[in-house]
Amino acid sequence: MNPQNLIPVADTLTAPNGWFQFFLMLTFPLHLFAMNAMLGTGLVAFVAHLYPGRAYRELSHELAKALPFLIAFTVNLGVAPLLFVNVLYGHLLYTSTILMGLFWLAVIPVVIVAYYLAYIYDFRFKQLGNPAMFVVFAVVLLLLLVGFVFTNNMTMMISPTSWGRWFATPNGTLLNLADPTVLSRYLHMMAGALAVGGLFVAIYASTVLKSDPDVSEIGQKLGMRLFAWLTLVQLAVGTWFLLSLPQHTLHRFMGGGGVATGLLVTGVLLTVAVLVTGFRRQVLPTVWLSMALVYVMAFMRDVVRGNFLAPYFNPTTVPVQAQWSPLVLFLVSLVAGLVLVVWMLTRLTNLKSRA
Amino acid sequence: MNYPVWYVPTFGGGLLIALVAIVHVFVSHFAVGGGLYLVLTERKALREQSDQIMAFVRKHTKFFMLLTMVFGGLTGVAIWFVISLIHPAATSLLIHTFVFGWATEWVFFLVEIVALFVYFYTFGRMDDRTHLTIGWIYFGAAWLSLFLINGIIDFMLTPGAWVATNDFWSGFFNPTFWPSLFFRSFMSFMLAGCYGFLTATLLEDETTRHRMIRYSGRWALVSLVLSLPAGWWYLSVLPDKARGLVGGVSPTITRAAIVGAYSFALLSGMLICLILLNQKARTRGLIVCVMLAAMGYLGAFEWTREAARRPYIVNGVMYSNGILQKDLERINREGFLKNAKWVQHKEVTETNQLEAGRELFLHQCFACHTVGGMNNDILMRTKNMSYGAMRKYLSTIHEKRYFMPPFVGTEVELKALAAYLTAGLHKKPLADDSAAGGERGKQLFEENCAACHGADVLKPLLASWPREQVRAALDKLPALNPAMPDYAAPKADKDAVAGYLFSLNHPVAAQTAKVDGAKLFEENCTACHGFDQIKPKLRGWSRDKIRTALEKLSALNPAMPDYGGSAVEKDGLADYMLQQAGGVK
Repeated sequence: MNPQNLIPVADTLTAPNGWFQFFLMLTFPLHLFAMNAMLGTGLVAFVAHLYPGRAYRELSHELAKALPFLIAFTVNLGVAPLLFVNVLYGHLLYTSTILMGLFWLAVIPVVIVAYYLAYIYDFRFKQLGNPAMFVVFAVVLLLLLVGFVFTNNMTMMISPTSWGRWFATPNGTLLNLADPTVLSRYLHMMAGALAVGGLFVAIYASTVLKSDPDVSEIGQKLGMRLFAWLTLVQLAVGTWFLLSLPQHTLHRFMGGGGVATGLLVTGVLLTVAVLVTGFRRQVLPTVWLSMALVYVMAFMRDVVRGNFLAPYFNPTTVPVQAQWSPLVLFLVSLVAGLVLVVWMLTRLTNLKSRA
Repeated sequence: MNYPVWYVPTFGGGLLIALVAIVHVFVSHFAVGGGLYLVLTERKALREQSDQIMAFVRKHTKFFMLLTMVFGGLTGVAIWFVISLIHPAATSLLIHTFVFGWATEWVFFLVEIVALFVYFYTFGRMDDRTHLTIGWIYFGAAWLSLFLINGIIDFMLTPGAWVATNDFWSGFFNPTFWPSLFFRSFMSFMLAGCYGFLTATLLEDETTRHRMIRYSGRWALVSLVLSLPAGWWYLSVLPDKARGLVGGVSPTITRAAIVGAYSFALLSGMLICLILLNQKARTRGLIVCVMLAAMGYLGAFEWTREAARRPYIVNGVMYSNGILQKDLERINREGFLKNAKWVQHKEVTETNQLEAGRELFLHQCFACHTVGGMNNDILMRTKNMSYGAMRKYLSTIHEKRYFMPPFVGTEVELKALAAYLTAGLHKKPLADDSAAGGERGKQLFEENCAACHGADVLKPLLASWPREQVRAALDKLPALNPAMPDYAAPKADKDAVAGYLFSLNHPVAAQTAKVDGAKLFEENCTACHGFDQIKPKLRGWSRDKIRTALEKLSALNPAMPDYGGSAVEKDGLADYMLQQAGGVK
């Protein structure tokens, strides 16, 4: 079966391709920030349970309060990039989704359970006592599981050579495990997520929790430690992922392609820089550098996708029938929505500062 | 055909979508109406300076947040996941056409989340005016989400001028947009009242509890009454075909409408009892019943809306199986398999007929039919049909039953599908009995009636009917049951079907029916061999031996097709052959 013959026809776009690329690359890192913060918060909250003392307990409690928010925003900020991926690569995504239908649908109940467990962890923190650590541990495990399903779908959608398996197994139980990039990619994403999540805890502890110096100090210490050590591990995992890529893709990162190589070099330099600032516990510089690093990584991911798909699909060839007024509706709503969000958050901060 | 199919034979996609969708709409409508309920109830508490009511609002907000934000938000994503699995082509069409509508909805979703968090966590800590404003922002964003989704959902039922223009706005503000928006808004307020009931029953202070139950009841009752004209308006703007479906042409929709109507009546009755008549009726058990009835009402509406657009998923544009109407003629000419991407057999051959038929089933029928499952089970629907009857049925399936999409493909592909549905699924013979001149009434029954009800179902119903009554009923089937289409056939065909149906309970009538053996022989055998040729072979054969041989002609000679006639016809044919061969009984 020639994989080329299996690729569905892409539907007409209602705005030039570049707009969707722009929105995708703008919103996907936002989802990553929220997702990283969510995972890191869960992990640090768990780790803090392993230490004795009031400050550690208090830190877990504070992080328990933040966790449901972070899950909510991870879901919300995931909707936008998934929408734009649907527009740009929907015909590929739906195909791989069908191949792994059962696992893909399982994401929903898994997230619902994790979400409610996070609320139980928050609202029942005191009643639960130390066993609360098992609740938050379950939350982190379930969410890591969701990441694994996503990694499978995102890699299977760009690997039409694996699609022929559907003819023998059409019941939605396929994963992409034979792909040598899947495991390294997953570990790379999750190690990165937990590292940046640690950084989030550090900044959260140094700002929102600063009224309790002990808790703030511990939060920064644990967060920055998690960040720095996992980033160090990331040097190895990231290299493994890079080397697991097919030759032609690897070649582009190793000097064959200007943009790809530039991104890799920038990524490595930023990683070295955040390692230095991270081990020195310089929270703010690490945050700024890491934000840039997440964007660089998101763009590298996009280059990988483009390279995998190059023999099969070029998004710029999809027909376009532009209609501008709906785009204007979205942009105006986005601005208005953000104004409202900022206004509400200022009311909240005013409240806090008065208190 | 553009996409693979998620094939879980016993669990069809339709049921999965219905389950997720009904659960989601029940929570998501609450997420809209509940927003208004919260701010207005908070305002009431402030005006009346009632700490008890304020405590109630606070408690209700927590429940509201946990239910709508977690369960409501994620089941919304679940619908997206499920439809992209079951209807990928339609999902792609909706996403591409309305991408910025969806993107705008995402903005409102974001505003909702922030507003609800701020509203809940600042209870009693923020000045009243700002807190109420945050509540209003929540409700505004939630209602605008409904506004957007409503346009896209109703586009699927009535795409209106979009079909010609492909213009976003003409698809969005489609003919059912406004009535549906009113209906859904009132439904959301009604549900807010219902959920309010539930929290109110938890109040410890008896006076406040009764007060809030009455308050919530008024909400629900007024909204329910207002939803009636909106629902009527909605039905009145449906296109003729869709209205016909809602009016009873489709058995599924009739069921949904009946369930809807009953639960609606039940709901109204209970609400009135609850609020006006009896304080003791304000129990949690009864309130749960009210909520189940409300769920039935809304569920019936959603089910009806989904079913009313059949056989399309986007009315007049894309059939339920993802095939675009505009491609119909071309595919009929070129062949379905040739145009399909996810098939292994690009054309039907003598050796792959059943496998190709299975692929046709997968891509054209499985979107709505399970295989051995509880929803639209294809095994049940096809068990009464022979290969010949199935062929005829498939060739006019859409004309006979509007809500079924037409078969798309060539004549050879149609035969392959018919072969799979009969020989493949039921191990029935592939004898071409449509040309065999078998018992005509039975054959016509199989072609026209058996898809919905087999003879075994009708037999007891017709037990006391004289032949004339059966015959007369065939002239006005919709009068018996609005779900039945008119049987537009020549008088002779109706006579034959009436005779067959009557014979189910009166076998003697069938026995005595004259069977012309000579004619049967001529129609079924002479194409290959005249009687002269087989006469020598029949020398010495008893009547029983001939009769037995007619049951399995292919056993005598693999080149001979099995004879698909009825037992009575086989008897007649055996008698004729015995007589011609000069034998004795």
